[in-house]
Amino acid sequence: MRTYSNRKGMRRNSFGLSLLLLACAISFLTAIASAQIYLPPAPPAQPSDYGKVILDNYASKGPGAVVFDHWLHRSKFTCRLCHVDIGFAMQAKATGVSAETNRQGFHCGACHDGKRVFDGKPIFASCADAPGPQCARCHSLGKKGVRKYEYKSFTAALPKSSYGIDWLAAEHTGAVKPVDFLEGITVKQKPMQSREDFTIKAGLAWVHPVVFSHEKHSVWNGCELCHPEIFATAQKSAVQYTMFSNVEGHHCGACHLKVAFPLNNCSMCHPRGPSWAQMK
Amino acid sequence: MTFKRMIVAGLLFTGLAGLVCVSAIAQPNPAVSQPAPAREPWQNEFDSVCSRTQEAMSLSQEELAALIQRCDALLPQIEKLDETRKKVFTVRLRSCRGLYAYVLESKRNEKK
Repeated sequence: MRTYSNRKGMRRNSFGLSLLLLACAISFLTAIASAQIYLPPAPPAQPSDYGKVILDNYASKGPGAVVFDHWLHRSKFTCRLCHVDIGFAMQAKATGVSAETNRQGFHCGACHDGKRVFDGKPIFASCADAPGPQCARCHSLGKKGVRKYEYKSFTAALPKSSYGIDWLAAEHTGAVKPVDFLEGITVKQKPMQSREDFTIKAGLAWVHPVVFSHEKHSVWNGCELCHPEIFATAQKSAVQYTMFSNVEGHHCGACHLKVAFPLNNCSMCHPRGPSWAQMK
Repeated sequence: MTFKRMIVAGLLFTGLAGLVCVSAIAQPNPAVSQPAPAREPWQNEFDSVCSRTQEAMSLSQEELAALIQRCDALLPQIEKLDETRKKVFTVRLRSCRGLYAYVLESKRNEKK
């Protein structure tokens, strides 16, 4: 026989159970959402847009925003040359590039001065005093047919990966020979001594370690592009390099989210992939 | 007639091959070249102090500490430059000083 107080108690219990289920559902959905947030994001659909930088600091005053394509410049120069010797910051709007600094021979003007010669041809001058049709070669946002090089034709002969150009193979096979020295700007140095590869243990037990090649990285970056700006401490295991920090643009993500092969190409860093035995 | 054509084709081929060889031999250095501009005294010190980043790992702790000191001594001179040069060279000096400090720290940790 059910009394009034029993029914009240049952109602209270079912209400409590509903609350518990709701809390479980919310925490489950939150966990899924946060897991999705920290999965490596997919790069742009078109590889030609990967590493595209829009410089629009002064777009409203001048000839329009500049479109800078990393794929074009990295086929000719190392990352180190521009980001260390010429002083292009890795963060947006931190360089302070302007028409004036270019005219003074800094930033774009370090190469684009109308005098410097590359492959036997003078490099066109950036931000010349008199505006001309060549301004649109860089100030090209929203303009069609003004750029000299198109991704598809320019990269046709370069080796490809599952996403865009395989720059490692391109450099390794000599399809590109990135220049690392700029007369009058780069300091002459002895060639770098090769450092050994090492492994970094993955945070998850079922993922095989990262194999890091100093040699492959230093061809493009030298030493000072990564240390200490991106990888700040020399004390081993003082910092845990995680996919969380990478996805937020730190550590590996400083380059591998924007220019170097994308983070979602897991096997490039974890060549042995997931450890299936650990997953069982 | 055919013989003449063969001779003309042969001559053209030889000429073309010669041109290719000459252009291959005379190909300019791929490094970006430009006449060297006049240098200021602080630049010589900058070049000297920042010219050892590639070999930083093979330097001794004393050498690294001396390079860091020279970087610190150079900074006030760079801070006197005009705004653009100050910005560019401060960043460059900071990056080479940072590397020397990083390598020095790494060497000290190795010894522990």
